[in-house]
Amino acid sequence: MSDLVAVLTIARKDLLQEARGRAVTVATLFFSAVTLVMMAFAIGQDSELLRRSAPGVLWVALAFAGVISSAQSFQSDLEEGAFDQLLLYPVPRASIFLGKLLANWLYLTVLGLLMTPVTLVLYGARAGGDAWLLPPTLALGVLGFSLIATFYAALTANLRAREALLPVLMFPVVVPVLLAAVRASEAIVQLSNAPLAGSWLQLLGGFDLVYLVTCTAIFHLVVEE
Amino acid sequence: MGDTGVMPAPDTDPARLSDRAARPQPAPSGVARGPRPAEDGVPAIALDGVSKRFGRELVLRELRLEMAPGRVAVLKGSNGAGKTTLLRMLATRLRPTRGRARVFGYDLQRQGDEVRRRVALLSVLGGNYAMLTARENLQLATTLTGLHGADVDAALARAGLAAVAGGLAHTFSSGMKKRLGLARLLLLDPPLWLLDEPFAALDEDGRRLLEDALTAARERGRTVLMASHELERSVRFADAVLELVGGRLVRAGGPA
Repeated sequence: MSDLVAVLTIARKDLLQEARGRAVTVATLFFSAVTLVMMAFAIGQDSELLRRSAPGVLWVALAFAGVISSAQSFQSDLEEGAFDQLLLYPVPRASIFLGKLLANWLYLTVLGLLMTPVTLVLYGARAGGDAWLLPPTLALGVLGFSLIATFYAALTANLRAREALLPVLMFPVVVPVLLAAVRASEAIVQLSNAPLAGSWLQLLGGFDLVYLVTCTAIFHLVVEE
Repeated sequence: MGDTGVMPAPDTDPARLSDRAARPQPAPSGVARGPRPAEDGVPAIALDGVSKRFGRELVLRELRLEMAPGRVAVLKGSNGAGKTTLLRMLATRLRPTRGRARVFGYDLQRQGDEVRRRVALLSVLGGNYAMLTARENLQLATTLTGLHGADVDAALARAGLAAVAGGLAHTFSSGMKKRLGLARLLLLDPPLWLLDEPFAALDEDGRRLLEDALTAARERGRTVLMASHELERSVRFADAVLELVGGRLVRAGGPA
C-alpha cells in the first residue's frame, strides 16, 4: 500500500464521518455566522470601517471555526479506541497526519468559500477585478491554519483540559499565517493591489512549507507515547 | 521443561515460556507481508527486563519472558496488575521505560512498523469508528494493512454480523462492537494475537464464536496472548498461564 493511498483513505474516512454526523458542520457554520454578525454589530454603522474590517473578521471567524473542527476530528477518533486502532496499522505516522490534515483543509476551505461572499455582502466590501486571488488566498491561509490546528489537536487530544489548551497553544503559533492571510485579503478586497497580494501569498506559501515539513516530521513524537 | 513449554529461567526473574515450538510456525500471511526474521527459533515475544512507569507509578517491573511462536498464553492478574499495559506495549502503543522488548525478533521501539505488520490487538473498547458501517470499518483495516481483496463480508459473517454489515457502528451494542473487533482480527489474522478481555460483553453465541476462532488460530500456529478474568474459559485454549501481581510476573506455568 502506498503512503498516498493511506493519506487519501484516512481523509476520506474523516470526511465521511463528518458527512454522516454533521456535528462539526452545524457547530462551525453556526459559530461562524454568529461571529460575523456579532462583529458587524460591534463595529457599528460606519460603512467605511465595516468595509475595512471585512478581511480581518473573515479570518477570525475561520480561525475560531478551525479550532472546533480540528479538535472534533480527533475527539471522534478517540471514542471507542478507534484512534488507537488506527495507530496499530502499519502506516507511517506522517500519512496519518497528512490524511487528517487533508480532511481538515478541505473542510475549512469549503467553509471559507461559503463565508467569503457572505462576509463581503454583510460588510459592504467588494473584491473587484482581483477576486480570482481570493480562492488561492483562502486555500493557502487555511492550509497553514489547518497544519497547526491538526498538529496541536493531536497533541492535546488526550488531555483533560484540551478544549482550553488547544487555542491557547495554537493561536500564538498561527499568528504569522493569519497576519499574512489577512494582509493578502486586504490587498485584494480594499486595495485591488494584485502584486502586493502576490507578495503576501508568497510569504504565506513559505510559512505553509515550513509548517508542513516540521509538523509532518515530528508528528510521530506527538502520537507515540 | 514440561509439556506446557514453561520453565523458569535459571538466572532470571521470573520465567521463560520455552522456545520449543511444538506447533508449526505461523504462515507468512495476514498482515505480515514484510520479511520474516532470518533465524529459526526466534521467540514470538521476548521481554528482557522490561519496566513501565506512568509518572511515579511503576506499572510493570523487570519483566523477563520468552514465548515461542504458536503458543497460547493467558495473562491473569487483578485489576491494575499491568495486563493491559503489557498488551498495549507489545502492540507498540506504549514504550518500555526500561528494558528491551521484541516481537518476532523485531524491536518494539526501533522497528515498530515491522511489529505492527505481525500484531493485532483486540481491545476492550473494540477500536471501531462509530460513524462508519461495520463493512467500512473492516475495509479501512484492509486498505491500511494492504490486504486488498480480503473478504470483508466473509469475516463479518464469521463474526455473526452479516445482517448488520451496513449498519453504523454507533448503533451496535457492546457485544456487537466486540464482534466487529473480532471480525477485524479474523480478517487480518496476523501471527500474534493480543486479546484484552476478549470474552467480556459477548453473549454465549459470541463466546462460542471466539472459542472457535481461538481453536482455529491454534491450529494455524498463531501466537496468542490474552488477558482475561474468565480463567476457566480461557485456559482451555492455553499452553501456559502468566500471572502478574503488582506489575511483576510471578508465575509462568501450565494451566493446571
